[in-house]
Amino acid sequence: MGWLSRGDAQPAPTRLRLDPVACDGVGMCAHLAPALIGLDPWGFPLVPSGSLGGHDRSAARRAVAGCPRRALFLHD
Amino acid sequence: MTRGLHIAHLAASVTGARAGLLPVPYYRYPLLPRGREPALGDESVEGLAAHVTRFGDRPAATGTSGGMLLGILDEIGLSGAGGGHFPVARKWRSALRSGGGGILVANGAESEPASAKDRALLTAVPHLVLDGLACAAEVLGSTEAVLWLHEDAHDARRAVALAIAERRAQGLAELPVRQELAPARYLSGESSAILRVLAGGPALPAFTRRPAAVDGYRGGPAVVHNVETLARIGLLARTGVRGHRSTALVTVTSPGGRTVLELSDTATLGDAVRDGGWLGADPQAVLVGGYGGSWLGWQAARGVRLRDSDLRKAGAGLGAGVVLPLGDGECGIRRTAGLAAFLADAGARQCGPCTFGLPALAERLEALADGSIRRGDVARLGELTRLVSGRGGCHHPDGAVRMVTSALHTFAADVNRHAAGRPCAAAAAMAEEVG
Repeated sequence: MGWLSRGDAQPAPTRLRLDPVACDGVGMCAHLAPALIGLDPWGFPLVPSGSLGGHDRSAARRAVAGCPRRALFLHD
Repeated sequence: MTRGLHIAHLAASVTGARAGLLPVPYYRYPLLPRGREPALGDESVEGLAAHVTRFGDRPAATGTSGGMLLGILDEIGLSGAGGGHFPVARKWRSALRSGGGGILVANGAESEPASAKDRALLTAVPHLVLDGLACAAEVLGSTEAVLWLHEDAHDARRAVALAIAERRAQGLAELPVRQELAPARYLSGESSAILRVLAGGPALPAFTRRPAAVDGYRGGPAVVHNVETLARIGLLARTGVRGHRSTALVTVTSPGGRTVLELSDTATLGDAVRDGGWLGADPQAVLVGGYGGSWLGWQAARGVRLRDSDLRKAGAGLGAGVVLPLGDGECGIRRTAGLAAFLADAGARQCGPCTFGLPALAERLEALADGSIRRGDVARLGELTRLVSGRGGCHHPDGAVRMVTSALHTFAADVNRHAAGRPCAAAAAMAEEVG
């Protein structure tokens, strides 16, 4: 189990962040993680600013992976 | 007059007749008339010989005294004078932790329309700015030094070119500085936009995941300082903490034009407005910091000292040192609508909040100003500010929102009248002037 606990010790990224310049308002993130990400009246994502719990974290990873502009990222 | 080492110490004239009325000596910078370029020997520009006579040679900032300069910056709490007031020492430590070196930029592209302090410094005391740049370059181990100016800032460009040539002719031991020119647009003075241009990109703000001081330019540290910040560093390297005197450099707009003043930071906004040439009845409010600053009602503002910390407690901030009074007969809503339209237009339109949010805000403020706003849209103004705030790729939208939010608060009674379809007479008169 040694290698597993080593993996756990790595600090997990806990915040979802957006590069607003890269974002084109495609809206894929809100589609993939609707409970986490909303859209403003112009179709641009409203990203939660606080740190994410376990469940939200997996939703955030889906959104990050699905963004065609690579505008979302996870941050400590 | 106290012969302390103020930025303006010699280059500016002291108006003795009024000095006794003020809590401290103050200085009025000579602003060159538009279109007139300084020449060597021009008495409004301090040449190298006069500069050295006044301040002495620039002390070396390397080695242990480099750490000393960093300590001085810490103790003074020097913060950036371009608007953000980020602690200088913290920026330097970030760059040093990343191995130092990299690029150092003196930002003299003063985009704030109501500010003239950077132009005043560059044309009156260019060597003090260049001293600060040289000190910073030594401490940071910078390998490139750039002076960034708007392409249409002809007087500043000329003054800086002369100063650089003088230093080169003297063979001063320092990192050579080159001038680079920014397109004459509002956001080309934004620090991430500068680094983007220097790296071969467009003059538009960039979004970065890490601070520029860590790896903002070609993988190495990038430190961008406003020219006033550098002038202050050039002074602090000489005075240390003991000889330091806190001053505020502000640009006051009055019906007679703009005046750049250096006042003790114990002076108040009221002092600045009066010394800036505001005559007659008190203004009803004052916009502090810049177009992206904060409106304060006059009663609340007049006694506030010109310190960023004091101004923040009052709900504003020193920002870029802009002090823009609003006369008693003017309409704050109309003025705010005009400023919001300017800021919306100046945006880079790279992100949603800037492309859609700022124009939507400006449009509704315009309707509020002329009394044609629909009921639901008044509440929508507040919603829009919250939707835009903190969501831009740079801080431009945040400034616009800050200004609008402070206006809705400061001019609340006017907002209600305008919203009820009864705009003040001043708004109509101001609209006619513009139209």
